[in-house]
Formats: sequence, C-alpha cells, structure tokens
Amino acid sequence: MKVLTHRLWHTIKGSLGQFLGMAVIIAVGISLYIGITTAFFNLGQSQEAFYKDNNFADYYFYVVRAPESIIRQVEAVPGVTLVTGRIQKDIPVFKDNQERATVRLTSYPLPIENEVNSIQLLDGRLFSEYPADGGIEVLVDPGYFDANKLAFGDTINIVAENKKYPVKVVGTATGPEFTYIMKDASNMVPDYETFGIMMVPHNQSQELFNLPGQVNQVIVQLAPGADIDQAVKAIKDILAPYGNLASFPRKDQLSHAALDAELSGLDAISGFLPLIFLSIAAGIQFVILRRMIKTQRTQIGIMKAIGFDNRQIIFHFSSYAIMVCVVGATAGIVFGIFMASVFSDMYAMFFNLPQAIGGINYEVILYSLMLSLGVGVLAGFTASRPILSISPAESMRSLPPSKSSRSLLENLPGFWNKLSSSWKMAFRTISRNRLRLLLTMAGIVSAVALLIVSMFTNDAVDYMMDQHFNQESSYDYMLHFNQPVKESELLNISRLEGVELIEGIFSLPVRVHYNSRTSEDLLMGINPSNTLKHPAKENGVVIPVPDEGVIISRKSAERLGLKVGDAVQVETLLGMGQAHYADIKITAINYQLFGNESYVSLQQANKILNESNLLTGAVMKVDSVYASYIESELSDMTGINSIVSRQKERDNIMSLMDSMIYMVSTMIMFSVILGFVIIYNSVVMSFNERKRELASLLTIGFTRKEVSSIMWKETIPQAIPSILLGLPAGRLLAELYFGSVEFDMWYMPVIIYPSSYVLAALGGLVFVLLGQWVAGRGIQKLDIIELSKNMD
Amino acid sequence: MDTEVLMKLNNVTKSYVMGEVTVEALKETTLDIYSGELLVILGPSGSGKSTLLNIIGGMDKPSSGEIIFKDRNLSKASDHELTLFRRNEIGFVFQFYNLISDLTAGENVELAASLVKNPLTSQEVLTQVGLADRIDHFPSQLSGGEQQRISIARAMVKNPTLLLCDEPTGALDYQTGKTILGLLKKAQELMGRTIIIVTHNTAIGEIADRVVRMRSGSIAEISLNESPVPPERIEW
Repeated sequence: MKVLTHRLWHTIKGSLGQFLGMAVIIAVGISLYIGITTAFFNLGQSQEAFYKDNNFADYYFYVVRAPESIIRQVEAVPGVTLVTGRIQKDIPVFKDNQERATVRLTSYPLPIENEVNSIQLLDGRLFSEYPADGGIEVLVDPGYFDANKLAFGDTINIVAENKKYPVKVVGTATGPEFTYIMKDASNMVPDYETFGIMMVPHNQSQELFNLPGQVNQVIVQLAPGADIDQAVKAIKDILAPYGNLASFPRKDQLSHAALDAELSGLDAISGFLPLIFLSIAAGIQFVILRRMIKTQRTQIGIMKAIGFDNRQIIFHFSSYAIMVCVVGATAGIVFGIFMASVFSDMYAMFFNLPQAIGGINYEVILYSLMLSLGVGVLAGFTASRPILSISPAESMRSLPPSKSSRSLLENLPGFWNKLSSSWKMAFRTISRNRLRLLLTMAGIVSAVALLIVSMFTNDAVDYMMDQHFNQESSYDYMLHFNQPVKESELLNISRLEGVELIEGIFSLPVRVHYNSRTSEDLLMGINPSNTLKHPAKENGVVIPVPDEGVIISRKSAERLGLKVGDAVQVETLLGMGQAHYADIKITAINYQLFGNESYVSLQQANKILNESNLLTGAVMKVDSVYASYIESELSDMTGINSIVSRQKERDNIMSLMDSMIYMVSTMIMFSVILGFVIIYNSVVMSFNERKRELASLLTIGFTRKEVSSIMWKETIPQAIPSILLGLPAGRLLAELYFGSVEFDMWYMPVIIYPSSYVLAALGGLVFVLLGQWVAGRGIQKLDIIELSKNMD
Repeated sequence: MDTEVLMKLNNVTKSYVMGEVTVEALKETTLDIYSGELLVILGPSGSGKSTLLNIIGGMDKPSSGEIIFKDRNLSKASDHELTLFRRNEIGFVFQFYNLISDLTAGENVELAASLVKNPLTSQEVLTQVGLADRIDHFPSQLSGGEQQRISIARAMVKNPTLLLCDEPTGALDYQTGKTILGLLKKAQELMGRTIIIVTHNTAIGEIADRVVRMRSGSIAEISLNESPVPPERIEW
C-alpha cells in the first residue's frame, strides 16, 4: 500500500492549509480536554483523599459552651460514626507592625489522627500540649505564615478574653476545612495577611478562653446512608440546653463550598468546551472529505478499475481524517499537558491541598487519544460512504454541472429581483451547500459565543467589584468590637484625624423561623440614613433600610421560600444570656453579592435585644492620606476585635485578576482560531469547487478584485447573521455555565457589558476578514489558461 | 469579407518553464486577423493552437513579439489592461462551456452583460441562440448543446469585436456540434463578428474564410477558402 500512502501525503500536501487548520482545532479541543479534565481529576482526587485522610466533617454544630461529656452522648446517636468536640473562635492578633489581623483559633485534642477535621502537618513540628517553657505552641496555615513572613519559633501576640498572650509558631498545617481560607462569605477572595487559621492543643484553648472541660463546637461524621435529618435532630436535642448557635451541613462549609464550586465549574466546562471544538473539527473533516471524494471521483474510478477494493479506498480516504486527528491530538496532548500544569499551579495557589495537584494523568491522555481518533474515524468513514456507489465506468465521464437549488430568498421577488447576478450566485451557492452553511454558521456562532464567554468573566468580576466596593458599600474600614458598645463610643474614633465619616452597625446572629423551618442568618443593623453599607436589589440597585421590618437575605429567602410581605420570627444566637425572639415583616429581599446578610434598622436590632443605642461595630470612610495612621491607632485599641481594610481586599482581588488575564487571553485566542479555521475552510472549499467558474469570470472580463468580491458576497450572508446569533448564544452559554455551577454562598449574576458584545462582534469580524483574506489569496493565483484544459 | 486588419501578430513566441525544461509552445508566429472573417485554427494536440488563441484573447502574454490590436500594442499591456481588453473586445466559448452553475441561463448572460457599457439584451441573444424559453433554467437542467448555446449567448451579449472559440464542439455529439457551428456562422454573417475557432477537427476548416494549420508550435500553412461550406453540409 506504499502507493496509497504516497498518494495520502500528496493529498495532505495539496491541502496543507486546511489540513493544519483542522489539526489545530483538534489540538485546541484535545488540549482543553486534557487541561481541564486533568485539573478536575487531580483536584477532585486530591480533595477526596484529603477529606478521607482527615475525616472531614459531615455536619457542624456551634454551641455557646457544652461539657465535653456530651461528645459521648452524640456518639451514641444512630448514624453518627465519629465526633469531635473543639473550641473555635475568631480572635485578634497584634502584629509587630502595629497592624491587626484575625485568626480563627481552632483547638485539637491529641492525638489528632482519629478526630473529625484532623490536620496535616506541612512543615515544622506539631504543637505540644505542655511545652517545656510553659508557653503556648501553635500551628498556622501556610498562607498566613508566608504572607506575614513568619519563621518557626516566632512569637505572635493574640488576644483572648481581653487578655494578650504570646504564642509560639512551631509549624504550618492545613485541614480539610481550610482548603480555601476566608473569614466569611462577605469576602471575595482570601486575604492571608489579615486572616489565618491558628491551631492549638485543646487543653491550651480551654485555658485561653476559660472553658475548662468544655467545647463550643461539635463536629460529626455520619455513616453513609444514615438518616441525616434524624441524626441531626437528635444531636440538636442533645445540644439544645447548651445554646445551639448554628448547625450546618458540609455543603455550607465555606472552604468546601468554594472548592466544590470550582470543581463543578471545571466539570461543566470539561465537557462542553472540548466538545464544541471536536464536533466542529469532525464536521469540517466530513465536509472536506465529501468534497474530496466528489472531485476525485475519476481517480477513485481508476483505482477501482485497477483493482483496489472499496475497503482499501475507503480506508485510504478515511486515513486523511485520521491523520488530521493524529497530528491534532499529538499537538493537543503536548499543549494539554502544559495547560494541565498551568491549571495545577493556579489551583495550588488557590487551594491549600497537601497532596500535589499536578501530575500527568495518563488515563486522560488515553481518553483524549481515543476521543480524537474517534472523531477521525467517525468523520472519515461516514464521509467516505459515497465511494461505495462510484462505478469505474461512470466515473470516467465528466460530471454534469452542480445542481443548483433556488434560494429561499427567491420567494421574495421584490428583494430578489433587485439583486445583482453576483449576489444571486452567492445566495444560491450558500443554499446549495446546506451542510456547509450549517457547519460554518455553527462554527462562527460558537466562536463568537466563546468570545463572549471569555470576556464575560472579566465583566462579571468588574461588575462584582463595582457592586461590592462602590454600590453596596463604600467604606474604607469595617471594625468589630469585642463587645457591644454604646453609640457614643464612636466619638473616640471619629475624632481621629482623617476620619471623614463613621457609621455604627449592629451584627446580630439569628435563626430565622418560618413555617417550622429555620435558616441561620446575620441581621445587620444599620441606620436608615447610613451611606456606607447597603443591601441591594437583584439588579444591583441599593435598597434603603426601613425603620421597621427586615430586608431578608437571598439565602434565607430561598431556603425558607420567603417573599415580600411574609412575617418571620427571629431568634437571637448571641452566645450569652437568654435568646430573644421577635416577629418581623419582610419588606424586601437582599441580593447583595457578597456577605449576603439580612438588614434591619439599628433601632430595630436594639429593640430585639431590649436594648438601645448599642453597636457591635462600625464602618468608616477615611482620608487616604491618613489611612495608615488611622489603622495603627485603631490597632492599638483593645476593644476592637477586627479591622477590615477594603483597600487590601481590593488589592488582593486585583492581583488574582492578573492571573485571570492569561486564561481570558488563551480563550480569546482559541475562539479566534476556531472562527478563522471555519471561515478559511469554508472559503477554500468553495473556491476549489468553483475554480473553473471563477476563472471563466476572469476570461469574460471580470477583474480579480471583482471575482474576489463574489467570494466575499458568499461569506457575508453567512458570517454577519452568525456573528449576531453568536452574541445571544454567548449569553446563553454563560447562563448555562453559571446554572451548572453551584454557587450557594454567592449570588453571581450573568453580567455582560454592551462593550463586550461589541468587542466579540468585532472579534468575529476580525476572524472572518482574516480567514477570508488568507483563503481568498488563491484568487490571485487563479490560472485562466487551465480553463481550456480538460475537466479533471 | 472585409480586409481591414483587426489584429496583427508579429514574431510572437511563447515558452513555458516546466521544471528544468523550457517548452516552446509557440515559435515565432506572424499572423494578421481580418475584421469580420471566420478563421479556423487547425492542429493536433500540442501544436500550439490553444496557446495562440489564449494570446489573441489576452488570457496569456507572449514571451516575445508584438500584438497590435486596433493600433494598440497588447504585448506590453498590464494585467488590468488585458482584463479590460477581454471585457470589452473578446467573447470566449470553451469546450466545457464553463457556465456558472448557480445562475440561470438568463442570469449567466446578464452577468456578462453587466460588464460592458452597451451590451445587447440577454433576451435578444438568447432568442438568437434559440433558447429564449430556457431563460430560467439552471445549467444542470440543460443538455450539453444547450449549455454551449448559452455559452455563445454569454459571449455575444457583450457585443465583442472578437469571438474566440476553443474546441466549441469538442464535447458535443455530431448533430449538436453542427448546430453550434451554424450559430457561430450566423453570428459572423448577420452580425459581422470576427470569429476564431480552434479545433483539431479538420472538417470544421471547411466553413472558414481562412484556415491556419499549426504543427509543433508554428504555423505550417495559411489557406484561403474561396467558397466556405455551410456548417450543415460538412461531415466528420
């Protein structure tokens, strides 16, 4: 079969542009498949192994304080397999540079191994329960350790129960609940410099918080298939006398939710993104092969006449498609492995997973090879079927002119008759090649839609940033006090030089009751006249806080099926004293993007507690010149539990956005390649098919420019509607993507700015122009002398 | 027959470089083409007859020599000038018709008409070739002979000075071939066209005013036909 192999090389050489174009699309599809699927597999496996090795909790119960003995009782609940009692509290840290940070101090009974949410030592050594020097030894998460440039043996000053304690850092560690470290859902991204995890021996934390023999959290693992509702109810009953502050399943655990959202996002795109590229590649291969078989009809006839059988000839033609896929897959695998390592590095940056995320996944590579070969075989063999019906004798006769079909536009005679012959020609050619039209349109629509999706991430983040930093809140600092203070205490802070505005807030953890269902929530009390922090409607418009009534959080509204006008009961979960109850009417639903809380007036928050003029914190706007001065002054005030700087948050987000640019540009590049190849192929195919016709136009006196414009007329009616269709398709794709990703913690609207539509449409025009220009260069080389020669 | 010289070819040559070999397709050729004559160029394959026709029609440039058309030297013409020459002065008819498959018969003719300032009407030329009733048919719906007639109509609609036909009957059966020749003859006689037919079919020479015989890239003989035979009476 050496001759056929030679012939195959010749065919490939003769259509090198198209061959490489298709191979590039396959390569993009395969590299996306390998890159994303490897990241998904590795991240998922890493997560699973980490969760399993460290007994990741299925359910969390927060209480005010409970004796350790209740652990035995919880253990006895049917369905419960493992229980750990611990102390976890957010406490302030005084840093050497006068700045403040907050750490989530979490206690661990020793030995750690068999406890729920155990930790894994990453560096240094484990803390000792009773260090020789009598101090306190702690572990911190690696993010906090690095961001604060700590070294083993360093001392950190923490504040617990209003007392300063020096603690010694002896190692770094991470746990399954700390893969993505954020203080709460009101943050967009982690800020390792000001928030970290501090791990201490259980006995030490009991001393620090004056909780001897007690815990404030019970975390459990449940048996697979256990009746979760029953078990949770039983545990809640056991914990009821100890002030059950909150209870939630694993899916609401912040770090897990973030990791899971990323995984479900990867899962969603690992399917559809490569599918778009591979199916378009398959389509192009099919169309090209069909055309090749049609034009090489005589040669196929000769091959048959010589004695080649159908099987050999079909295999020969299919080999073309298979070769495309082999070349594409090879390049795709190389680039895919590179992409997988880029993704892995990125995830290693985002998530604290102790096991390496990277690594080549041979299974994925094998699948990708099978996938691409499958595409080649499918396109090759289905396209080659007409070979069966070619008879050697008939094939020697020249073909009659291609059958023309009337265009649908001819039903509009008013319009049709006004068209010039070249436009009529273009429309009829388009409608004659329906499959090609469909493929070209699908390709352009996909490419433009992908352009929109690439740009939409940018828009969404930009919108969220604007909404988060400018609309919903515009403060520079948020303070939380150790205990509620009188409003008048704010005066001390407002007197600091550079403070432009300070507004009090009251954050009150509550349980919302409605129709015997409950949802834990945070009531944010602010003055109706406040200007620095607002709830917002679904469209982002801020809602003024009413004197009476509550603007309920989207999360609670969804969980409890609430609507405006309903009345709910709130139960306070302060962790001290008796719980207070109040009935409040819902006046609106809060769609604030981050830290989705419920809002009441400051007065109403106080009223619920039978208090007046109390605050738990404040938001403030400062003159940026005085920012560091104010920050250090605030840091010195012991009554302040935490200080959140918005500028730092913004900087963090911006630095993450930088890494996103590469992703966005890669996607834009892939979309343009897809669009370019589609147009290029469509034009080249049409050109090759009509070479004689076009050359005959040159003989009757058309200039090459005029002939080229005829080719343009064929592309424009396909390209323009496809580009326009691609715009809503892009939005739909973005919506489908968001729909498939579970973002319970955050409300993510699909935001696409008009400028992105314009840019995507321009991008579409660019690849159309480019593809047409490159493919159309053939017109310059059209040989009119060829016309007088034979047909084949 | 008018004796006014329409085109003059002086020592025209054409050679092609094919790989390492230079092929002299046309050796020094000198020929006058008279206005209104029907000239048949005869010769076997490779004799250079199509090369000669292509050079006459401005589809190809000579390697050396001079082509004077109505006092214009075409051998020095640019590509664009040659395009305009083809557009305004030349009508081509090919062996394989080369019609645009996505245009109807009428539209194929109109497409050519759209190129020139004073074309004939497509209805008129289609009537002349006897296909006025096929105006809305696509090439795929027409027989070979009908397609060739459309091709002639397409060439004639521009009202060209020179009608060049490369093996116009080559793909047609005997009877249809004769009909096509009849049409060409009619175009010469009734409309005063200058027509050049290139063919290997010697019988066609009988309808010509003059016959140019070519062999191995040169003109072997030019003979004057005192009494051309009407196409319907020739045999091959």
